[in-house]
Amino acid sequence: MKTCLWVLLFALPLAAQHGRYESESTNPAIGDPVAIAAGSELYLRSCAGCHGPDGSGGRGPNLVQRPMWHPLSDEAIFTTVRNGLPGADMPPTNLSDDETWQLVAFIHALIGPAAENPTAGDVTAGEAVFWGSTAGCSNCHAIHGKGGKIGPDLTNIGGLRPLAVIKKAIVKPSDELYYLGNESVTAKLRNGETVRGIAKNRDIYSIQIIDRAGKLHLLAMNDIAELEILQRSPMPGDYAERLTAQELENLLAFLAHQTLRPAGPEAK
Amino acid sequence: MRFIFLALALSSALSAQVAYEDILKGPGSNWLTYAGSYNGWRHTPNTQITPENAGSLVPKWVYRVPNARGLQTSPLAHDGVLYVTNTNSVYALDARSGRLIWSYVDSRAERQSPNRGAAILGDKVYFITSDNYLTALDRSTGAVIFSKQYARLEDGVSSSSAPLAVKDKIIVGSSGGDSGVRGFLAALDAETGEEVWRTYTIPAHGEPGSETWGDLIDWGGGATWLSGTFDPQLNTLYWTTGNAWPDFNGKVRPGDNLYTSSLLALDVDTGKFTWHFQFTPHDTHDWDAQSWPMLVDLDWKGSPRKLVLHANRNGFFYVLDRVTGEFLSGTQLTDNVTWASGIDAKGRPILIEGKEPTLEGNWVCPSVKGATNWMGQTFHPGTGLIYILTLEQCGWFNLSEQEPVPMKNFPGGGATEEGGQVILRAIDPTTGKRAWEYPMTGYGRMWTGTVSTASGVIITGDDAGQLAAIDAKSGSHLWNLNLG
Repeated sequence: MKTCLWVLLFALPLAAQHGRYESESTNPAIGDPVAIAAGSELYLRSCAGCHGPDGSGGRGPNLVQRPMWHPLSDEAIFTTVRNGLPGADMPPTNLSDDETWQLVAFIHALIGPAAENPTAGDVTAGEAVFWGSTAGCSNCHAIHGKGGKIGPDLTNIGGLRPLAVIKKAIVKPSDELYYLGNESVTAKLRNGETVRGIAKNRDIYSIQIIDRAGKLHLLAMNDIAELEILQRSPMPGDYAERLTAQELENLLAFLAHQTLRPAGPEAK
Repeated sequence: MRFIFLALALSSALSAQVAYEDILKGPGSNWLTYAGSYNGWRHTPNTQITPENAGSLVPKWVYRVPNARGLQTSPLAHDGVLYVTNTNSVYALDARSGRLIWSYVDSRAERQSPNRGAAILGDKVYFITSDNYLTALDRSTGAVIFSKQYARLEDGVSSSSAPLAVKDKIIVGSSGGDSGVRGFLAALDAETGEEVWRTYTIPAHGEPGSETWGDLIDWGGGATWLSGTFDPQLNTLYWTTGNAWPDFNGKVRPGDNLYTSSLLALDVDTGKFTWHFQFTPHDTHDWDAQSWPMLVDLDWKGSPRKLVLHANRNGFFYVLDRVTGEFLSGTQLTDNVTWASGIDAKGRPILIEGKEPTLEGNWVCPSVKGATNWMGQTFHPGTGLIYILTLEQCGWFNLSEQEPVPMKNFPGGGATEEGGQVILRAIDPTTGKRAWEYPMTGYGRMWTGTVSTASGVIITGDDAGQLAAIDAKSGSHLWNLNLG
């Protein structure tokens, strides 16, 4: 029984990563651009004050990264919007069924991949930010094979992550465990060599490092005399200051557009 | 072997990009194509594992491939890294430790099919998604260089083959032959994924071969779902094609149904046919020709000849001249063959009456799984033998007269695939005679290939769930490891 419980505890978050919903709703508002746009208006008027304009939370919980095992179904969001949460600050609403489904459609899109949502920024201006020296994103990150090799690949970032998650990874990279699998390490080997780079993986027996030139160093820990690990993300932590609000918005728009597959309701 | 990979020996690191010339050299410390080499031998010149020391093999690590349900991949090895594929995913592993370096999962792919492996060229690893995207990944980081669609699910095409890197092209095959599709083989530019050529395995209306079809020619099948071999001197690709559709109902497609269940020889630069050879004209038993065309140069009746060897699902072992496609010999591969009494001088099966699928069911050998299948046999240049997993199994073949509707998963009937016995056989390709046999216990469910070493060891799976090492000369058991 104990084993079963552990299996469940590990399995659930994994399962949660695969789909946003246990059962996708068949309500026609879901995925309908007109309904999403109407829902956006309703959200900004009634919800953004507590949950944040991008759903990243504030007085109310973060809708995009919720500390729950299960993703909420569209029906559960509908019920919560309609009835509120008794005992909490979340009030009931008196929206019509159609309006409530518009809101659900917007939230459904908001917590889905960024590519499926409208973004406020200018994509072309954001592209210049990405490749420019002020932000220096491409020193470490690549898109379609251009750029650095030590940061996570961003070719499909808009197709994978919600906008709020991308934003947080930029402005607060060390806040969450984004650096696991992306640790900055310096390994001094017993043969006198030093290897600097990112640990793609490691355990107490071996380590797999990629250096800035993109060369892999597959090492046994027995061959390492000293291993230094940076205790924060190697991603600079000052982007909230380094970039203007407009530059950040533009960069986010550019990243949201990075997707391998067609995005949006018209995509199959 | 279904869920895990075991590293049995350490791999040493080399360096630099993978050049076409590196693939031409064949295996050494690397393994750069599905079959190890363009000739399809699955043979390594390495000599560390010998009949004398094989008994002391011990597992070094286990990597559990996420979500694996019966892997069909053959890992590539380069520069100390193994590249393993699963459905819509690639995993790069540290060969010495088994630790994951990077993984790539295309979570938005719209189909979930098996995946048979990757290709490597330059600094890129290539694989294809089930919904027909050739995806090129940086071999060090897994970063996406491009992901290019080359066919549409809406046309009945899905993909499962291991792409083959030749010169500056990536050759990709197609699946979908059991539900109606027009099979094709395509060459895509290795740098961009742009199409260089596409050759259909089913002729268009009015083209030569179209007279071998009825009205279903547009959906005839002939999928190219495995991978192929390549002769650099002849500049020729050798690629097999799958069954005609509907699989079990031949009445609705009168004729030979070219070019299904065939071996195609194509110019790698243009995709044009050099020759074709059809093993099973008008196939009604779902005997795809997907087994490896192995390219060997041997003395044939006193003179040296460029040959292609092919062990077919239909129960016969074929030798062809690979320059001309001339049929040279067809011998029985398995003991139980009841649909044909032999192969005639031109290479056509000599049919036995009454072996077609029927409404009430017809008992035919081999079964639908075939006398062998896609997993890959090995040719050992030292012994001159091929080593091949064969299946002695018969089965019921049923016919459905329901009207065939393409892309509705309708095969025109059905077949059973239980029981029988898997036997590893060493076969002399010049005579078709068996040098030895290694019978196994099990349920006839195994889909494992073979690999040989220059030092005389055959590594294979066992139908009882074991990994085994066998002496190439004698067929004696050397070692086994229960993988469950």
